[in-house]
Amino acid sequence: MPYIKEERPETLSVEGEWAYGAHVYKANTLLDEFCEGLREKKLIGALCMGCGKVIVPPRAICGRCHIRMEGRQVVSDRGTVVSYIVSPPMVKGKYKMLGMDPVELGIVKEGESLVPGHVRFDGSDSPYNLPILNARPEEVRVGMRVKVVWKEDLEGKLSDIEGVEPIRD
Amino acid sequence: MPRPVAIIGCGQTKHLSRRRDVSQPELIAEAAWKAMEDANVTPDEVDAVVVGNMQGFGGVAQPDLWIGDWIGAPGKPVMRVTTGGTTGGTVAQAGYYHVASGLHNVVLAVAWEKHSDSKESGATTGLGHVGFGAQVNLFRCGMGLKGFIATSGVGMAAGVAVYQAMYYMHRSGCGIEHFDMVAAKSRRNAAKNKYAHLQWPNCTPEDIAKTEMVAYPFRYGHVCPASDGAAALVFADGNTARKRVRTPAWVKGLASITDEENQLISESGGGVGIIDSSEQMGARVAAQKAYKMAGIRDPQKEIDVAELYQPFPNQELLFAEKLGLFDEGKAWLALEKGETDIDGRLPCDPSGGVMSTNAIGAAAMLRILECALQVMGKAEEHQVPKKVNIAVAHGWGGSTNYNTVTVLGSSPD
Repeated sequence: MPYIKEERPETLSVEGEWAYGAHVYKANTLLDEFCEGLREKKLIGALCMGCGKVIVPPRAICGRCHIRMEGRQVVSDRGTVVSYIVSPPMVKGKYKMLGMDPVELGIVKEGESLVPGHVRFDGSDSPYNLPILNARPEEVRVGMRVKVVWKEDLEGKLSDIEGVEPIRD
Repeated sequence: MPRPVAIIGCGQTKHLSRRRDVSQPELIAEAAWKAMEDANVTPDEVDAVVVGNMQGFGGVAQPDLWIGDWIGAPGKPVMRVTTGGTTGGTVAQAGYYHVASGLHNVVLAVAWEKHSDSKESGATTGLGHVGFGAQVNLFRCGMGLKGFIATSGVGMAAGVAVYQAMYYMHRSGCGIEHFDMVAAKSRRNAAKNKYAHLQWPNCTPEDIAKTEMVAYPFRYGHVCPASDGAAALVFADGNTARKRVRTPAWVKGLASITDEENQLISESGGGVGIIDSSEQMGARVAAQKAYKMAGIRDPQKEIDVAELYQPFPNQELLFAEKLGLFDEGKAWLALEKGETDIDGRLPCDPSGGVMSTNAIGAAAMLRILECALQVMGKAEEHQVPKKVNIAVAHGWGGSTNYNTVTVLGSSPD
């Protein structure tokens, strides 16, 4: 490409490493409650008594009202795509994620695209980032109706939701 | 009311993907000394220093602890500020506060990033964190490898911005061709700015349209680079400003507004209440507050030039709307007519913007610096061909929920 290129000569440089990113992640305590709900195919949201918003997964404090979200509301596992993106067709060895190859792992077939989307579940006021499964990339659009693809053996883990797929009835 | 404050000196380094010729403090010093020379002040005359970059970028956590000697900081108060992408904007605003409060007369504000010191490919620890940090945490909490790769394996550095672009396209009716136009304009403008990183003289939207799709709707040509570079500003009270330089850039208004976390899923594992990440309430509120302070009633008529924080092309359009420069959902129509070109009615990012030069910690300060240059008439080849009385600078960052807006003018009144 006709970009103007400029490189500066390298002066003494030494490579090194420290365990900079190593840490213990502390999840929101409400995530346990949400995961328990998944075991029964329930999507639990937190209800704000100030503005009436329902946030999924639940959070402790409303981001706009700044009050505790003490209410609970189970929302539908059907919803609407509010945003999505499409990856280029995946080629083995070309795209890596944290050193992992989606084609090699069998997450996507060679030549197919990944289509992650934001889904607003009916009854909720928040986007949920999930893969859109069983759909051709060209048929996905904002406003498309989708439902959760549940894992066969529910374990009470976030992975119980495999993604969403178009409602075709 | 705070006392009048002006920017009296600007300094920036040449931005490149790899400044392997200098160390981090040397890079920072390059900008800091240029700013002090430009302001006609010696390091002894600087009362306080504010510094900032992104946490952990460049592979080190706290460069502020050892850069002081290179920029004349010993014996003075030093404060480090870091707020993600807005860092440079917040550092500059903190510099303003130091002077406006009456506690200090001359303050040096320095912001930088040296990506190439990090050995991680492409993005750095921090950028990856912004891009898919919350997803990584949920992956560890049992999201499963499949779900993680299927949601986070796309977009990568573009992260939340690519979803935001889709929201904006759906809402405003603009198309990918408008993203091509913004990108091409940025590369062309950058070619006129000797400090800019991605310079491409006479770049056309067709050139950008030929680049590979990274994640629909973004092409490779739509993505900002990771640059090594630094920026510095000298703030002074009104009396000092008038004595030291011929044309200070007066800080007429400023505001910084934080919204709730705004990247798909909260860092703490809960959901977020903002469905449309192109909504950016913080930018709108910050702009209105800053305009009120600056006495601006009609931003569409009164503002002469804007420097918007736009690492991705959709952001120039949506933030121009949030800052009131165009009606909601109409910025792309103005773009089509050439109104945002360097010689247009309301030039946006005549410097080339963040699309062309992205030393993250410095990027939001560079917006203010470029506005100061336009007001002072010192932008050289990328000076807009009209008298600049009012310029507005914007910064965007945090968990995509921080916004800074700074209004500069040619006179303090």
